Amino acid sequence: MTDVHIPAATPAAPIEGQVTGRSPWQDAWLRLRRNRAAVASAVVLAFLAFAGFVGPYLTPHSYDQIYPQYVRVPASLEAYPKEDTIVPEFQSALERARVIVGDIALDGSTISAPISDDDAIDERIVRYVDRSDLFDNARIEDLSADGKSAVMLADVQRVHFYFGTDRNGRDLLARILIGLRISLAIGLLASFMALVLGVTYGAVAGYFGGRIDNVMMRVVDIMYSLPFIFFVILLVVFFGRNFVLIFIAIGCTEWLDMSRIVRGQTLTIKRQEYVQAAEALGVGSAGILKRHIIPNLLGPVVVFVTLLVPKAILLESLLSFLGLGVQEPLTSLGLLISEGAASMRGATWLLLYPAVTLTVLLFALNFLGDGLRDALDPKDR
Amino acid sequence: MAEPILKVRGLTVDFQTNDGVVRAVKGIDLDVRPGETVAIVGESGSGKSQSMMAMMGLLASNGRAGGSAKYREQELIGLSDRKLNKVRGAKITMIFQEPMTSLDPLYRIGKQIAEPLIHHGGYSKAKARPRVLELLKLVGIPDPERRIDAYPHELSGGQRQRVMIAMALANDPDILIADEPTTALDVTIQAQILTLLAELQNKLHMAIVFITHDLGIVRRFADRVYVMRSGEVVEKGATETVFTAPSHPYTKMLLAAEPTGHKAPPPAGAPILLEGKNVEVNFQIGGGFLAGPPVYLRAVDHISIALRRGQTVGIVGESGSGKSTLGRALLKLLPSEGAIRFETHDISKADRAQMRPLRKELQLVFQDPFGSLSPRMTVGQIITEGLLVHEPSLSGKERDRRAVEALREVGLDPVMRNRYPHEFSGGQRQRIAIARAMILKPKVVVLDEPTSALDRSVQKQIVDLLRDLQKKHDLSYIFISHDLAVMRAMADYIIVMQRGRIVEEGQTKQIFDDPKDIYTQTLMAAAIDQTRFRETA
Repeated sequence: MTDVHIPAATPAAPIEGQVTGRSPWQDAWLRLRRNRAAVASAVVLAFLAFAGFVGPYLTPHSYDQIYPQYVRVPASLEAYPKEDTIVPEFQSALERARVIVGDIALDGSTISAPISDDDAIDERIVRYVDRSDLFDNARIEDLSADGKSAVMLADVQRVHFYFGTDRNGRDLLARILIGLRISLAIGLLASFMALVLGVTYGAVAGYFGGRIDNVMMRVVDIMYSLPFIFFVILLVVFFGRNFVLIFIAIGCTEWLDMSRIVRGQTLTIKRQEYVQAAEALGVGSAGILKRHIIPNLLGPVVVFVTLLVPKAILLESLLSFLGLGVQEPLTSLGLLISEGAASMRGATWLLLYPAVTLTVLLFALNFLGDGLRDALDPKDR
Repeated sequence: MAEPILKVRGLTVDFQTNDGVVRAVKGIDLDVRPGETVAIVGESGSGKSQSMMAMMGLLASNGRAGGSAKYREQELIGLSDRKLNKVRGAKITMIFQEPMTSLDPLYRIGKQIAEPLIHHGGYSKAKARPRVLELLKLVGIPDPERRIDAYPHELSGGQRQRVMIAMALANDPDILIADEPTTALDVTIQAQILTLLAELQNKLHMAIVFITHDLGIVRRFADRVYVMRSGEVVEKGATETVFTAPSHPYTKMLLAAEPTGHKAPPPAGAPILLEGKNVEVNFQIGGGFLAGPPVYLRAVDHISIALRRGQTVGIVGESGSGKSTLGRALLKLLPSEGAIRFETHDISKADRAQMRPLRKELQLVFQDPFGSLSPRMTVGQIITEGLLVHEPSLSGKERDRRAVEALREVGLDPVMRNRYPHEFSGGQRQRIAIARAMILKPKVVVLDEPTSALDRSVQKQIVDLLRDLQKKHDLSYIFISHDLAVMRAMADYIIVMQRGRIVEEGQTKQIFDDPKDIYTQTLMAAAIDQTRFRETA
């Protein structure tokens, strides 16, 4: 071993003083920070997480608000309704009111047109305008003394659909954001559940070994042999479709892999001399598991979790695709993609945007996982 | 004097680490002439291996080599891998320290030896086989016709090292670089391998570059010596000159690093602290569900041992002789048969919970100071862990005070207690491991090869420290080692073990001066032998 790690202790330092060393975690952090792909992925992930958790409150439309007049409108940076549709629409509304229309003027968010009629204008004709989804607050002003001419005014409601709308007329951006939230939440919660269950189960089985290990691992084998979809259908039949159920179902299957990995790690760590040293000190099983085994197997576990999150998200997408996942009007990325795939021909944006979001999310998670694996690789130390 | 075939000038090796660039080799010059043996001596971290690795283009990915290394006018540094491959493995070959891991476990050894022949020598598969047989004969593998189809795990450590040598010799190299080729082997095997290398060198007239930290081997083996310290050559010259008249203080220190002194036996009436009668340990191999009946291996076979207060009982033996197993069985860390008593307690049948209060008195120090400290705990947490178990009423502050005390006692600066083990050198780590045992104020400490993984000069310090602690606290040691020099300095009573049995026991002086058993005699001869393996040119 080189002595480069050991800075000479300054003789002037007081003996009771504290010199803090750099833990293996801090070393790994330094290595991770130098990995550009991983850092970029972390930034992207942070952005997506922020978008998922805060975004739905910031969008002008709620994810379940329906705009019947804007069904399957394509993505656009321009506001809806389009400028060139407003005037003809106003015109036809007024024609239906059977009044003579002058020049229609569009000024910002109000549209106005002088109208005249042979008889006195009935104020109720504003209904014809209000009936159109493009206008509201239609009113008649500047009514002439004889009541035969006036100016019809109406507010134009401009809305933006940057990602377009779906076939029910709901804003796709808002739906993607809520879908991102649901997918991330399921990914994280299911992984967390797999983490807690798998680490405890695997560490206990691996550390105690012998018959306990045998029985515990056979239980895992039996659980493995249950087909996942069958298991989910059973759960759905018994408990009904429920958000909580999905992450429980995914967590319940994913912890099996985790427990096997952790058990394998534990078996090698258990033979390390520091564990034997702790046994020789008389440390009990709980202490050894808590202080020696679990902290030392966290490296590979952290890596596995970052790869588990995308797996859980994909599983949830699969379930939603099959109609066993989240329920309308809530949505998830998987569900959005499945809907998008159904209307791919006429409305590509319905497939494109959710798919791109999911891909970016999965890419970032996988890159970060790879970066973590490199950073925690003990061979590099 | 012949022209050097390998000329190294100003070779540097840099490593990119988290703490910036570290220069491991700081510009060394080195010459190797045809047919001579050059030894590079130095302690771990001196850069002796890295300089050779740099030459062979085998540095880790964060390493960079600079300077010049010329093999017969061809510059090796900065050469592309493809061109380098024409030289390495053919003209310059290498054997490594660890014969257990340098052979691929999935291929038969015949195939592995044939690989350099097919790759460099232009042999066909069919033609390579007789040459492989010839090589196996050359390196003294018994029954080569049968062994050629063996897998590495079927061979012993010594045989594997012979196979590695056969691979290195396959293309009649000019230079063989041997990187600590015998360090992982038992002393008797070590002697055989060195004799083999010396014979082969005479027969094939190749140059050997021998990298080692063991000065005893160098003296018996090398023509010229380079002494390296922290990346620099501090002294070079003919072996005899360097050994008889060292000029650099570091060389002098290395030569004087043999552990010295003896330990006086305890007074005759000292009470017996730990006693084992007919201790037997069996390991079950295989067996279980669908695997058929298990096979038992007897690692410790009816051994009786008594340790008195203030005594150090040394257990000597080669790897696999059961000495470590015995040490652990006496502490009830392994299930065993037979009677074990500690003071007035019969602990033969004690389970984990019953042993727990006694663990405070019975401590263990391990061989590997890198493996025995949990990498994710600070030094302070590591050494105070025993206090959590045995003195749970202590406050955090009190524990910290005890840690400071224990670190001072083993000669470490207590300021370091918030650092992590990987930031310490091997010797410092072993001191930490000793502090962890001593903080509980034990009566008996089992020392399982505590100095084997350390450099000679550090070994001496650890031996001195252990003896001081013993005197100060009236400790009793069971000292397990294969290193007879250290054993002589530590133990006052020695047990020699072979294949789980005691072959000889007695006072240290008696065992060293007048060994009765043949096995003890071979052991002594291999370790203390001063005969040369080859005549220096």
